[in-house]
Amino acid sequence: MKNIFRPIKATLEDVISETSNIKTFVLRPKEEFSFRTGQFVELTIPGIGEAPFTPSSDPGNKEKIDITIMKAGRVTSLLHTSPKNISLGIRGPYGKGYPLEKFYGKDVFIVGGGVGLAPLRSLLFSLFAEIDKYHKVVLRYGARSPRDIVYKDQIPKWQQLKKVDIITTVDVGDAQWSGNVGLITTILKEPPVDLKKAVAIVCGPPIMMKFVTLKLLDLGFNPAEIFLSMEKNMSCGLGKCGHCRLGSFYICKDGPVFTYEQLKDVHDIWD
Amino acid sequence: MYNIYYISAIQLNEFILRLRGSYTVFTPVAKVENCTREIDYSYRRLGAGEEVVFNPYRPVEPLKSFFTRAKEEVCTYFTPDRPVDEPEKTVIFGVKSCDIAGHKIQDFVFLEGVEVDTLYRLRRENTTIISGDCTDFKQVCHCLSWEILPYPTWGFDLNLSPLNEGYIVEVGSEKGAALIKEYEEYFIPAKDVQIAGRLAKRESLIDRLRRYLLPQNLVRREDAQRLVKEGHNLDTWQQFMQTCVECGGCNFICDTCHCFLLADKQEKHENKKIRAWDACLYANYARVAGGANPLKLRAQRLRFRYTKKFDFFMDNLGLPACCGCGRCIEVCPGKIDIREVLKDLAKKLSVKE
Repeated sequence: MKNIFRPIKATLEDVISETSNIKTFVLRPKEEFSFRTGQFVELTIPGIGEAPFTPSSDPGNKEKIDITIMKAGRVTSLLHTSPKNISLGIRGPYGKGYPLEKFYGKDVFIVGGGVGLAPLRSLLFSLFAEIDKYHKVVLRYGARSPRDIVYKDQIPKWQQLKKVDIITTVDVGDAQWSGNVGLITTILKEPPVDLKKAVAIVCGPPIMMKFVTLKLLDLGFNPAEIFLSMEKNMSCGLGKCGHCRLGSFYICKDGPVFTYEQLKDVHDIWD
Repeated sequence: MYNIYYISAIQLNEFILRLRGSYTVFTPVAKVENCTREIDYSYRRLGAGEEVVFNPYRPVEPLKSFFTRAKEEVCTYFTPDRPVDEPEKTVIFGVKSCDIAGHKIQDFVFLEGVEVDTLYRLRRENTTIISGDCTDFKQVCHCLSWEILPYPTWGFDLNLSPLNEGYIVEVGSEKGAALIKEYEEYFIPAKDVQIAGRLAKRESLIDRLRRYLLPQNLVRREDAQRLVKEGHNLDTWQQFMQTCVECGGCNFICDTCHCFLLADKQEKHENKKIRAWDACLYANYARVAGGANPLKLRAQRLRFRYTKKFDFFMDNLGLPACCGCGRCIEVCPGKIDIREVLKDLAKKLSVKE
């Protein structure tokens, strides 16, 4: 009999340190497990607790799943001290993910903040895998400081790809940093996209998502073409436990990706 | 095939007691100790030779407590797949119309959507509901204001309506029909005059309840959604929350509230997921890792409860998630009254207009 709460076993094969408080956990599920980019999973520390995360790896890789996690609470702090080769539990995937087919032929304008680049990396891998289907992929990424940038070694490689345009910025620079300094909105001023055929995708901390969304609307993006990755304390992942309600939606089941058009009349979406 | 029968009170008692042979039977019992105003009825397991009590109104416990537990194990993991234990076959006697109406929300949550909750479904399938007409009402009862009648018309297996020295028995499902067949010696087809008698009793109670509710000027079903939406910024939420002690009682006693939290634990080298009822009036209900909390203020949490009931469920199911049972009013140590909250929204919004 199917038990909807039962996680399957996954081996923690590797832990990659991204920043002082962000690590990427490489998992090998023991049973078949696949996801669409933008969907999330519930990751269990056996007998201890679980928390929701969106994988950061290429959904095309059916063997391994990367999950990039910032140390924030009880479960994530324990994960950060976990040794390799232990068994974790994984269940899902949950939610709807990014509607890639709606992005075909378009300029895909991606705006990420901090560890919000994690789910976006999974999206980027999906876009890169079929880059001919898109007109252009633009990434604008902001982090607090150069030390807080995730995937430092990979971003320069992505920049070399055809049809890909990437700019990063940091709120506060340091002695070695020669790039942009300023909030994310400072590098959104003249996006190299054709607004008539552009979609925007935003993922980051709530305050960043708020100001980026306002900026995108200001630039003339259509509310129905702004895709937001929303987050709350999803517990069951199935639209039953009630925690992640946002207006008349559940983030776990109806999202976690929503268009701004869907949410524009919902109160307090950025809280 | 008849689907309305008559059974005498003595035979009903015998019938229910005989069901104990194949079912765990729950029937309400009057709680007379500490009784100040009106008698409360509470479910208990029916013992051998005990008298079956027909409760005039709904029991204290919500119907949901038979289908999800306040705290229970929902699975083990990293262990060989164990078949779910078949829940015991259960008869619940004394369920009322409000409970059945409210339980539709629980069914929607656990039986529909992206996945079916297996444990819930099995319990539902193994449970027989023998409901009854209300013959009286509590001070807090207000089913009629949500357009719910004080007698059920659907959602039961058998329904009892007291008449003279017995009961009219209506069959509401195949499960109910099978019971009648199995115990056919107790049931005789109801006569038209008896069915007319049932109607008269029902109408008389509705009339009495309507006259009781009329002066209360309650918010109407069709207005509730608009009120909670347009009342987003009113001070009603702060005002009514001043006396809230955050006990979660209103959530736990509610027939429609369904929120739960999953937790993990290890017991005898086995990993387990535990499901426990959760309450949106609790301070940490919406807290996320790192401590951010979108429902930090108590007023936000009260508003969250009301928008869930009257906006979310109207949009998603076309029903308000309140059945007028009044349990939350009775349970609240802060005397927060759902009828008064809605009326306050209505009053303040009408002044604004």
